[in-house]
Amino acid sequence: MSFLMMHPAQTTSVLRMDGIGMRFGPVTVLDDVSFDLRAGEVHVLAGENGAGKSTLIKILAGVHRPCGGTMTLDGCAYAPAGPNDATHRGVAVVHQELSLIPAMSVADNLFLGCERTRGGWVDHASQHAAARRALAGIGLELDVTRAVESFPIGVRQMIEIGKALAHEARVLVMDEPTSALNAQEAEQLFALVALLKGRGCGLVYITHKMEEIERLADRITVLRDGRRVGTAPRAELPMERLVEWMVGREVGERFPRHAPHAGEELLRLTGFSVFSGGRSARPTVDGVSLTVRRGEIVGLGGLQGSGGSELMGGLFGAYGARTSGTAAVRGRAARFTAPRQAIRAGLAYVTNDRKASGLVLDQTIVFNATLADLPRLSPFGWRRPRAERAAAREATQPLQLRADSLDMSVGALSGGNQQKVVVAKWLRLGPDLLLLDEPTRGIDVGAKRELYSLLNAWTARGMGILMITSEMPELLAMSDRIVVLHRGRATATLTAAEATAERVLAAAMGQGGASRVTEATQS
Amino acid sequence: MTDDRDTAAMGFAGRVFRWLGSPTGRACLALALVLLVGFVFHADGAFYKAGTHRDALRQTSVYGILAAGMTLVIVTGGIDLAVGSVLALVSVCFATLTIHWGWSAWAAVPLALLIGALCGGASGLAVASWRVQPFIATLAMMALARGLAKYASGGMKVSTAVQEVDGAYRYVAVPAVFRAIDTRILGDNVPVVTAIFAVCFGLAWLALARHRWGRQLYAIGGNEEAARLSGLPVVGAKFAAYVASGLFAAVAGICQAAQEQQGDPEAGAGYELLAIAMVVVGGTSLMGGRGGLGLTLIGILTIGYLEKILSINAVPEAGRLMLTGVIILAAVLTQKRGR
Amino acid sequence: MKRMVCLAGLVAGWMVAGCGKPVEQAAPATPAAPRAAKATYTIGMSQCNLGEPWRVQMNADIKAAAEPHPELKVVFKDAQNDTLRQRAHVEEFVSAGVDLIIISPKEAQPLTEPVAKAYQSGIPVIVLDRAVLGDQYTCFIAADNRKIGKAAGEWIKQALGGKGKVVELKGLMTSTPGQDRHAGFLEGIAGSGIEVVFEADMKWLEPDARKEMESALARFDAIDLVYAHNDPGAHGAYLAAKAAGRDSSIRFVGIDALPQEGVAYVAQGILAASFQYPTGGQEAIATALQILKGEPVPKQIVLGSRLFTKASVAAGGEDLP
Repeated sequence: MSFLMMHPAQTTSVLRMDGIGMRFGPVTVLDDVSFDLRAGEVHVLAGENGAGKSTLIKILAGVHRPCGGTMTLDGCAYAPAGPNDATHRGVAVVHQELSLIPAMSVADNLFLGCERTRGGWVDHASQHAAARRALAGIGLELDVTRAVESFPIGVRQMIEIGKALAHEARVLVMDEPTSALNAQEAEQLFALVALLKGRGCGLVYITHKMEEIERLADRITVLRDGRRVGTAPRAELPMERLVEWMVGREVGERFPRHAPHAGEELLRLTGFSVFSGGRSARPTVDGVSLTVRRGEIVGLGGLQGSGGSELMGGLFGAYGARTSGTAAVRGRAARFTAPRQAIRAGLAYVTNDRKASGLVLDQTIVFNATLADLPRLSPFGWRRPRAERAAAREATQPLQLRADSLDMSVGALSGGNQQKVVVAKWLRLGPDLLLLDEPTRGIDVGAKRELYSLLNAWTARGMGILMITSEMPELLAMSDRIVVLHRGRATATLTAAEATAERVLAAAMGQGGASRVTEATQS
Repeated sequence: MTDDRDTAAMGFAGRVFRWLGSPTGRACLALALVLLVGFVFHADGAFYKAGTHRDALRQTSVYGILAAGMTLVIVTGGIDLAVGSVLALVSVCFATLTIHWGWSAWAAVPLALLIGALCGGASGLAVASWRVQPFIATLAMMALARGLAKYASGGMKVSTAVQEVDGAYRYVAVPAVFRAIDTRILGDNVPVVTAIFAVCFGLAWLALARHRWGRQLYAIGGNEEAARLSGLPVVGAKFAAYVASGLFAAVAGICQAAQEQQGDPEAGAGYELLAIAMVVVGGTSLMGGRGGLGLTLIGILTIGYLEKILSINAVPEAGRLMLTGVIILAAVLTQKRGR
Repeated sequence: MKRMVCLAGLVAGWMVAGCGKPVEQAAPATPAAPRAAKATYTIGMSQCNLGEPWRVQMNADIKAAAEPHPELKVVFKDAQNDTLRQRAHVEEFVSAGVDLIIISPKEAQPLTEPVAKAYQSGIPVIVLDRAVLGDQYTCFIAADNRKIGKAAGEWIKQALGGKGKVVELKGLMTSTPGQDRHAGFLEGIAGSGIEVVFEADMKWLEPDARKEMESALARFDAIDLVYAHNDPGAHGAYLAAKAAGRDSSIRFVGIDALPQEGVAYVAQGILAASFQYPTGGQEAIATALQILKGEPVPKQIVLGSRLFTKASVAAGGEDLP
């Protein structure tokens, strides 16, 4: 198709969606939503979780069929019969969760489901050549015969995009493409976005990150509760206004961090190492020392894979005895070898992947919110469903959990509400020290703001918090102190006053206080 | 799941329809279909006799006991292939103890249960502590227990004919405990075996639905890592599930021996698959974390009645196997639709 | 292909020859010269599986028969229902240089050639219970299921006075013993007023027999006799009838008459009759001794069956004609 080479005409709409409606059973998820996309523009689709963005995208991608409304693609009626049909019509979607098969080669992934064959047999030579060409088109040169799992996550994200474009897409949808990428990888992605834009491809971009909206968007459409709030060019939509559109009310300042209430020392790590890959491998956390006091938020900075998550896991006992060094909680030695011991000592751990390690998705809100507190809720082993329900209600109420009923399965909740259930689970226990690993990943602006307020409330009550976040503004604004890790070592400890984005980034690249030679840039 | 306002608005038909869409509704639908077949092909009225239903329940009791234990394991995302062999081992040991050695039931039953628990414990240790895949670990136990059963019995059935040193046979009476288990109570209406099944089932239901341990099993099956990080005793709870499955297999073994009046080292071959089928037809997911004993009960009745109906109609073996396969597939397919 | 034709010819020839009466052939010209008397003889015994009590009994019978002969040493191997493993066992016996092989083969076709090779290498082979193809063996010893089934049918006809309602619980109908015991039975009751009201496949298994019998009891108020293809089947049917309180009005007949099963049931008054399906273990050792001594043996020995009834069980049963 020669379309990609055609010059973009800024005014023509590639895609129009008019009056789209969608119902799941009795629930209306989309109501009279209209949306249009021009060639060569980046159109950001914004809105809180549960606003209907994903449903709209799924309709576009042919996963769902709308209950009402019409779609046109290049002026022709567009009603995809399924995802494959959508792909062939030139609509490509890069999903939030990667859809690549890890053990298969890059080329095989690219042509999965539409293999190039000769007499029924896969024509590997032609596939490899085509795959190389497709990836070179987005500035990616790599060995297409290698398994996808052998590449770092950032490259995988690019391969995913390459896969979407292998079928010569005119409309490309990206659903939070940077959520798993580090700063450097995100830069590569932005460059690619610019490239595609220049080729006349229309991009629908979904993100929760304000920086990305500011940087990439040509136009912005905001959805709230299944309705379109409005569409505006970015220049005409200042950030405060955008947030107001999304949340439906004024939010106030973005990072409401109050003064710290630092009290007694809660946690002291001295020369703490974690061997998450086994004793023989290089330690993923290497001799880190840090302290957390009551009423304090300590931020852990660093690039992806710098060891923050492993530090938390090791401290919490998730890696068994594969740690060394000393850890003390409230002055008492605390080298935990099982999460249970850590919980008993007053620790709680919100992992960075709530689906994989935080929640039992098939089960109800009550089930998940009471999971860690089972021993107390079931004296002599026998459960008391009514007490559990009351406990779940009590734990979720202050978090403003939005759910039809506490018997809803957690898997049906939006990301922000899921995160609230995880937090509720731990708050039930009244922990002293809360470990938060990317607590705002994949949750919307309103929910983030609520979480920040909660952090403040908790620290005011004397809880200590150790927090990892890959969002620089959040790290800078919410932390009382920042410990920056680089390849498992602490390279800088900065107070809130000292910390700037540049200093944190420099330390994250290995040029911190200890000033080690930079070697971080390679995945 | 059901919102009160919605339900009220939907009316009766709507509610019924919604219930039929739930896992319980789907499982009940399968059972109803099987029973319908019974009403149509009633074999000269045999299906309407109370005795037929009593027998159907008695016949399915041994499988049901296995399926109850199996549910506990499957909820954790595991599987226990060893139950059939453990049943044989326990039946052989129990028969040897009571018939040949003349032990009293008070000593023989606890020992038989202990043997079952040990077998289950060995599987559990391998799965929970050594992280062997449940399929492999219990496959090994399946072979091991079968071998032990053959070794303990010398490959022969342990019956009331006891061989003396000189090779002659001495006949002993059937032990009282066998007679006690293979009889009927409550005005000759309920087979003791069925009552044992009901008790086992009730215990398993209590454990899974009302005990902390049940929660732990669901959490492990749903998301083991989340369960571990929430401080649940993952290893212990899993281990206990396999021990329970072994215990239930031992109970089934005792019932089997009592009903056959002998210990057969070949007994229970293929029972594990039937027990798994019952659990799955009920709608409990083999992936773990979803389902429950209520569903398993429906599955047990579905397959139990199917067997009975085919039997009273004297359907030839080939037809039975084909029909059973079709029914299992159909039942599982209707459940898949729901997701 | 050529070999196949050859084999087919051999089989046909043997069948024609064997159809008339037991073939009283002279001892085969075993390729080896008459062996010199030795102090000890090693006999290799390859059993196809030890999962069935009947086969365990066969091994026990062989062992018991060999015990009075200190010069005989019997090596037992269990192929665990695996044809290829049994084939390997035969080859192992050959390379170990045993003096005689007894084999109860799992299947005819795949074991014909290994047996023939052993036979040609000069080792006498006794084939027990199930046949191999051709005539490359020394002696075939087996009972006749059809004959036993017919005897059972005739006995039942007599016992019921020529008419009555019978339930037949069949063994696995895909196996030859099941088919023969069924066909023989029908032959035996032919021409009488006996009606088979219910028949079901209980796959040789006692629990299944009990289930099927319960179904039969639910359907029919009048059942005079149960004919089961093995004793455990008859016993299972008895347990079902007992549970229904109908054991006194029904008679039970089984086949196999193993000492601890059928014979015991008859002795306890559970079964009315059991027809022995002999293992041939004793005959195999007797024949082996003859062969080792260089005496001629017949090419085929059809084992006689014995009938055990309440009256005759104490006396060790009675020979069937």
